[in-house]
Amino acid sequence: MDEAAWIRAAQDGDQDAFERLVRAYDQSVLRLAMNLLRSVEDAHDVYQEAFLRVHKNLHSFRFDCSFHTWLYRIVTNLCLDQLRRKKVRREESTVVETEDGPRDMLQVVAEERAEADPQRRLMSRQLGTRIAETLLTLTPRERMVFEMRHYQGMRLRTIGEVLGTTEEAAKNCLFRATQKMRHALGDFV
Amino acid sequence: MSCDEVKNELAFLLYDELSFEREDAVQRHLEACADCRWELEREKALHAALDRAEVAPAADLLARCRRDLRERLTKQARPSRLAQLWADLARAMAMPWLKPVGAVGLVAAGFFAAQFVQGPGLLRRGAEPLAVEPVASQVRYLQPDPSSGSVRIVLDETRQRVLTGSLDDAAIQSLLVSAVRESSDPGLRLVSMDILKNRAQSAEVRSALLQAVQTDPIAGVRLKAIEGLTSFAGDAETREVLAKVLLTDDNPGVRIQAIDLLTQHREARIAGVLQELLDRENNNYVRMRCQKALRDMNASVETF
Repeated sequence: MDEAAWIRAAQDGDQDAFERLVRAYDQSVLRLAMNLLRSVEDAHDVYQEAFLRVHKNLHSFRFDCSFHTWLYRIVTNLCLDQLRRKKVRREESTVVETEDGPRDMLQVVAEERAEADPQRRLMSRQLGTRIAETLLTLTPRERMVFEMRHYQGMRLRTIGEVLGTTEEAAKNCLFRATQKMRHALGDFV
Repeated sequence: MSCDEVKNELAFLLYDELSFEREDAVQRHLEACADCRWELEREKALHAALDRAEVAPAADLLARCRRDLRERLTKQARPSRLAQLWADLARAMAMPWLKPVGAVGLVAAGFFAAQFVQGPGLLRRGAEPLAVEPVASQVRYLQPDPSSGSVRIVLDETRQRVLTGSLDDAAIQSLLVSAVRESSDPGLRLVSMDILKNRAQSAEVRSALLQAVQTDPIAGVRLKAIEGLTSFAGDAETREVLAKVLLTDDNPGVRIQAIDLLTQHREARIAGVLQELLDRENNNYVRMRCQKALRDMNASVETF
């Protein structure tokens, strides 16, 4: 069965087909939410809400875009709302809640790079912290576009479709995000 | 192209987001310009550093998300008895002539409920500490009263209880049957099924096994249900269900087990079902088993 057949079966109420659709996409949805929101609980909530909305509105999906685009529209809207709320509440920090407890997000980067040379290790740790800080300076849209292009490997055209904008606007957003990154991290690379 | 223009395109070059002509122009400039080549190396180093900044969600978070979603969907699909009762009552109350009857009914229900409720009530004035057992509550309905500053809250409560008893105890069996029929946790359904599989002589248990073999989404649970029905291979209702399963189940293991049970008793009708299966079956092993069963029954393997 191809994806369209699974979608049609799920539209007819086939729960197995719906579960297959969820499993085809849920890892990347969770990864996107986790990277953007940096909170296990927020990512969990976005996952639940996104797939509940898909379940509720699947009957109205008319194949006028890909299912991936349609799903990501739902997910990115939920994440953008959450990011904006976080911005207002000024709750963001570089600390990520993980299943093993809170960890500074880019300590992970530093640890993974674990250089033998203490000076390089220090540099690596500072770089990690700087990346985390720079990500926080991006606007929610810039972060969204950057996340989808850099980590999810999505084409700018698709990102434009998902965010309801043009490829050119998505490109401008990515340009601003990468400029900020380059400016902030220029000393390290 | 100027160096500034090229530098602005380096990120897009690495993201493979340049048009053919633009990429060609950038590459030609890079071949001739050492400064821009150095900038490209820095851009690559930046990309590599950013790659390592990705946070991967833990596997158990994914498992928790999937489990919770499934539970919420199951809950949505099956309205609680209380909700159903409430909906029926609301529909009935919409009929004007039933309103006085409904009001009297509600007063009576409240009176009788009060007789049966034991222990401290949730909202009782000066009540002792609330229930000792863990309670999961969900707010079902709210009615604020701005004039008095109070609010009326209707809660659905789920209270945990621990029961221990013999497997021959009807109440225990009944709970296991409801776990088979209603639990959203496949592991729980499987364990309950395993416990009940030797008790298919009870009509309630057999009915749950027959339902599971037809509707449970997990093949392992359906296989366990068929195992529980082994001693009823000659029962007409069981054979009816197994014949249906044989023609509709998407799992080859389940179909093979259904063939095994159905062919324990020779019956002309079953030969017809097997021939029908042979017409549509794609799995070679199931086809082979089906052909063997037909030959053992001296029935024609060919269909016309």
